[in-house]
Amino acid sequence: MKLEGTHELDASPERVYQCLVNPEVLQRCIPGCERLEQTAENTFAATIRTGVGSIKGVFNGTARLQDMREPEHLRLVVDGKGAPGFLKGSGDLDLARTDTGTTVTYTADVQVGGTIASVGQRMIQGTAKMMATQFFTSLAAEAKTAVGEPPPQHGFFRTALRWFSGWATKTLRKILKPQKGT
Amino acid sequence: MIPAQFDYKAPATLDEAVALLNSDLDGAKILAGGHSLIPAMKLRLAQPQLLVDIARIKSLAYIREEGDQILIGATTTHYQLESSDLLKQICPLLPECAKSIGDVQVRNKGTIGGSIAHSDPAGDWPAAVLALDADLVLVGPNGERTVKAENFFVDLLTTDLQPGEILREVRITKPSGKFGHAYQKVPHPASGFAVVGVAVHLALNDDGSCKSAGIGVTGVGVKAYRARAVETALAGTSLDDNAAGAAVAHVCDGIDANADLYASGEYRCHLAQVHTRRAIQAAKARVQ
Repeated sequence: MKLEGTHELDASPERVYQCLVNPEVLQRCIPGCERLEQTAENTFAATIRTGVGSIKGVFNGTARLQDMREPEHLRLVVDGKGAPGFLKGSGDLDLARTDTGTTVTYTADVQVGGTIASVGQRMIQGTAKMMATQFFTSLAAEAKTAVGEPPPQHGFFRTALRWFSGWATKTLRKILKPQKGT
Repeated sequence: MIPAQFDYKAPATLDEAVALLNSDLDGAKILAGGHSLIPAMKLRLAQPQLLVDIARIKSLAYIREEGDQILIGATTTHYQLESSDLLKQICPLLPECAKSIGDVQVRNKGTIGGSIAHSDPAGDWPAAVLALDADLVLVGPNGERTVKAENFFVDLLTTDLQPGEILREVRITKPSGKFGHAYQKVPHPASGFAVVGVAVHLALNDDGSCKSAGIGVTGVGVKAYRARAVETALAGTSLDDNAAGAAVAHVCDGIDANADLYASGEYRCHLAQVHTRRAIQAAKARVQ
């Protein structure tokens, strides 16, 4: 499946590029990203819990950055799998300077397989577009802050909320489960 | 094909259902007809902890007139809508749309509320409620609110329903004066889902010109949408072939059309134009 799109960001290409190669920023921007760790130079391992509507899944995978030409280009190679299916592919990100900031153009070629591909084929592209938009909206907010400044509030708040709700659910389940059995 | 373990509750009232849904916002899911949710659960694409079955709340399935409104309960099945003599007379778009959904089994179990709340990008009901400019009544822990259908569909499988809210009722202003309806659909040969579906509601002036048009399109984008540009282009025209032909050219304006193995985005847009034109012609021919 081919994916293409452009997004306008309100920050310089240098700043956008810095955000794109910063694991902490990426973790805040990728929808549902629970873990993103650097495992080698320009290689990351990630756990993403994501979905649309009632369809949800957890994916584990790796991402590698290649062809890095700051601040105009980078290539991302991803490989991941989860209960609903697997995906692998690569995408090119091009950053172009504009009067107001940066235009990011992406083109990607992704293979999706497993259950999600056999039954959800007609929705895969829509899902991918929706997530790309969420990602770039968060990235735009991140890129607006200066280096060293705290991350944008909504991003922080969302992360905190996600952490808290995850913790609360887990704790509640732990408390409730044994009682159910008795 | 065997779902993950889940709890099942069948509350007797809507208030109980809202309370149950809010007892576990992360893990609870409303079950109505189950024709989208259950297959997803069997494939383990969805793994809710708790199903709150509202299909057994009898008071949620109804079709009735109240003043100038038609009220439809959320768990009214496609078959009940398809076979309603009242609707055939006062709002024929709904039975026509219902008839095109899936097969008999699906129509006997599937519900209008479930279809709208699920917001499948190829679902049929979203197109019909958009064309009729319906109001959707949502109930949550803090009471009720009403949302226009046009503002309800947000994105792929994503609606304005907040966690803990349930779609309770569909409200449609009874069409009056001279009007005509049509639903045109290209069903996917395997699933019956709309590759493209177009619902048209035309209101005419006494001289036969178009007073206003409501056009809902499904299957083309990530969500069903109102083709506002086509509606505007039709208003005031005589609805002849030239006017309709010029108007339908705008049906995909601003829409990033879906592409999948069956149909490319370009093909979908072309189908949308052809079938919007046919739906306009059919609706015009049925004006009484």
